[in-house]
Amino acid sequence: MTERQALVVDDHPTNRLLAIALLKKLGWTVAEAESGELALQLAERLAPRLVLLDISMPGLSGEETCSRLRQLPGGAQMRIIAYTAHAFQEERERFLAAGFDDILVKPINRQHLAELVNGA
Amino acid sequence: MKLPSFLSGIRGKLIAIFVLIKVVPLVLLAWFAWHAAQQLGEDVSVKAGGMADAMLDSIKTVGKTVTDDSIRALDLRSREAIEALTTDAAKEIASFLYDRDRDIRLAAGIELSDASFRHFLGERNRPIYQHGAWHLAEDGKSWVPEKAIERTAKVTRPVLPDNARDFHSRPPEYFGEAEQRPLFVEMTYIDLAGQEKIKVTSGNLTEKGLKNVVDRSNTFVKAETYFAELKKLKPGEIYVSDVIGAYVPTQFIGPYLPATLEKAGKPFQPTESAYAGTENPVGKRFRGIVRWAMPVVKDGRISGYVTLALDHDHIRQFSDRLMPTEERYTPIADAIKGNYAFLWDYKSRSISHPRDYFIVGYDPQSGLPATPWLDEELYAEWQQSGKPSHEFLAATPSFREQNLNKKPAKALAKAGTVGLDCRYLNFSPQCDGWNALTEHGGSGSFVIFFSGLWKLTTAAAIPYYTGQYGKTPQGFGFVTIGANVDEFHKAATETAGKINTLLAEKDNSFKSQRGAMLDDIQRSLTSTAIGLWGSTALMVLLVIGIAVWMANLLTGRITRMISGIRAFQQGDRQHRLDAGSADEMGELARSFNQMADSVEESFTRLEEAKEKAEEASRLKSAFLATVSHELRTPLNGILGFAELLNAELSDPAQKEYASIIQGSGEHLLKLVSEILDLAKIEAGEMTLNPIDLPLADFIRETTANHRSSAQAKGIQLTEEVAGGLPATLQVDPTRLRQLLNNLLSNAIKFTVRGSVTLSVERFEQQIAFAVRDTGPGIAPEHQQAVFEKFKQLEHFLTREHGGTGLGLAIVRQLAEHMGGHVRLESTLGIGSTFTIYLPLENKHD
Repeated sequence: MTERQALVVDDHPTNRLLAIALLKKLGWTVAEAESGELALQLAERLAPRLVLLDISMPGLSGEETCSRLRQLPGGAQMRIIAYTAHAFQEERERFLAAGFDDILVKPINRQHLAELVNGA
Repeated sequence: MKLPSFLSGIRGKLIAIFVLIKVVPLVLLAWFAWHAAQQLGEDVSVKAGGMADAMLDSIKTVGKTVTDDSIRALDLRSREAIEALTTDAAKEIASFLYDRDRDIRLAAGIELSDASFRHFLGERNRPIYQHGAWHLAEDGKSWVPEKAIERTAKVTRPVLPDNARDFHSRPPEYFGEAEQRPLFVEMTYIDLAGQEKIKVTSGNLTEKGLKNVVDRSNTFVKAETYFAELKKLKPGEIYVSDVIGAYVPTQFIGPYLPATLEKAGKPFQPTESAYAGTENPVGKRFRGIVRWAMPVVKDGRISGYVTLALDHDHIRQFSDRLMPTEERYTPIADAIKGNYAFLWDYKSRSISHPRDYFIVGYDPQSGLPATPWLDEELYAEWQQSGKPSHEFLAATPSFREQNLNKKPAKALAKAGTVGLDCRYLNFSPQCDGWNALTEHGGSGSFVIFFSGLWKLTTAAAIPYYTGQYGKTPQGFGFVTIGANVDEFHKAATETAGKINTLLAEKDNSFKSQRGAMLDDIQRSLTSTAIGLWGSTALMVLLVIGIAVWMANLLTGRITRMISGIRAFQQGDRQHRLDAGSADEMGELARSFNQMADSVEESFTRLEEAKEKAEEASRLKSAFLATVSHELRTPLNGILGFAELLNAELSDPAQKEYASIIQGSGEHLLKLVSEILDLAKIEAGEMTLNPIDLPLADFIRETTANHRSSAQAKGIQLTEEVAGGLPATLQVDPTRLRQLLNNLLSNAIKFTVRGSVTLSVERFEQQIAFAVRDTGPGIAPEHQQAVFEKFKQLEHFLTREHGGTGLGLAIVRQLAEHMGGHVRLESTLGIGSTFTIYLPLENKHD
């Protein structure tokens, strides 16, 4: 597990960019992926301590990607946070059930992100 | 009354009704039939018994009547025969005596000489019949003849058929062994001085020497006093004496046998005691005479008297052989049987009797009459008188109170002097009876119970009226015949006996027949009962079977219908009832099927509508989620980078612009959130996740979130949690927080100075969250409008206050969605109080 290594997974470039910018400001080394498949490859290689994972993506969905990440070596210790615009309560519950450690609902703000990742 | 469970169903009720209307009459009918049969049986038994009894009764009555009539007829016939026999015997005796009158007349005219007299007597003989020799039987218990006499009727020619009916023959009559005996034992000629001048005797009864008969002691048994009577005779007149003889006493009355004599304490000397027929056939005989006399007239003057002494035995022959039975005659009388004849003289003294000791006589020593048999009473009187008996009796009235209750004098019986003189035989009332019948010359009979036997006793006067005998119509005396009545009607009593035997047999036969009939009836009744009750039971079973079958048939359809309905009810909506039959059940089934059709159709429609609605709802939810997602995604970039920009820019103006972008983005975000919330509530998509929320902590936290903004405006924010509230509240915390946040932020937003208070208290079964401010207040006419979407009061610019115009709409809708409601109280210029009421009820569930 690489200390302070984070992985941002989002098919939306703007949102990926925002998360990377904020994480870097918080002192993280950030890798990025635009799909679940790429994220799995990167994660296998980088073994990130933190993953911000979008849900609605072409290809592998965030939930599927999360469960596969968990199956990687050290996947169980990975802090995987849903980085999603799905804000409804029932959706949040579904993500927690799918193996996410926490949820970061878009739009995000710096303080909220900092509180969440600090736990990692 | 609770019916048994099997009766509660229609089936049970049907069966019960069936059984009631069919079985009860059936059982009643059977019972009636049985009762009638039994009654009939009883009636038949009783009537049969009654008939049998009545029949027996009538047979008995008829039998008794016939027997009684027969007895009576036989008795009357026997009486007539015996009476005839009696009168015939009396007539014969009289005739015999009159013959002796002729003899004396002849005798008075013959030559007075020994030879002439001898010749006279020698010419006059008559047979005396006597039994042969008898001796004591070897066992000493009876006397038996040495030679048995057999008498059999002899018929040597064939009986002609015409005569065969009741052809009855008798052997020649047997009176005994005949002995020719002279009629007279003595013939004398007596001179006027009483001196016997000529005397011829036969036998040795009288003395042969010539004597003077004036002196009694010179007469027969010193008892004759006839000479005095002779002197009174006129020529042609006849004198006839009494029967005179020596009394023969007995040592015993009854069968003279060694045993009886020993018992009486006397020596067994039968030849010394009086003759008594079969009772003592070897006894001493009474011998007596009756003397006829007539004056002998010579030259017109009475010169003397001729007498003839008749041997008394010849008179006895008329009675001794007589039998009032079909035997007719007997050589020896059997006194004990009660069938015998006897003779009584004109003074009612016994002059002939089967028992010689009963014949009165004289004491040969004194020539005085022997004492006759008296009753105890008279005997006692005589003993007291101290006189000789003949003197005493001469002064005693005759036939004094004769009756059967008087007792014979035992002393006389013991002494053996028991001659029967009816005048003093007061224990024998028949003496009086005989005299009643004969004293006027007549005859007759009566029945008397005497010596242990019912006896017919007849009496007939002996119409012989010569000499002294002509003084009364009774004449010489009278004949009596005693006969055992039972023997007359023996045939009838035998018939009666036979009838009674027959009746007894019939009675038994009737009884057994009746018993058999009763048994038959009982058997018949039993078989009837078995048949009746058996068939009734069979029919009852059949009826119950039919009832069950019909009930099953009827209720089977109902139960099929019920199970069909139940199947339908439980979801098998394709299920339809069999509506094949045309009856009410079919109609019911058809109605149900129609209803089921429409219900099924409704269900189908409902399901379709539901599916559509669900589809719509699903689409709506998906749409809302998508809208939310699609709006938030760009907002993430806008807000995130605006915040970044604001932090990194140093030019205040640029910083301001970045802030504006950020503020507008946040407003948009809020708007999006609230629109989506409202849309969710309205679409019914808002799901609540109630938990046990610690109330006090929650209120404190919620208030704390607004404290900074309140302080920024210089407004006092307070919280008041009342007592009596539960520690936790069952509620969705997100939504409750949303409600309170909306109200608190509004209150702080619109209050310029003063305070905002959040108070929580119980209101009935609800919890009331009240947010009170000291803001401008809301006019009554606007109080409804504030809860409408995008209907912020005109004078509050949305932009100025940063509101979305949806906050209170959400509050109202969400409160109602949570089962509660919102109330607004407001006064212009003073402030407003928004109160949310939520139900408390489910907090403990």
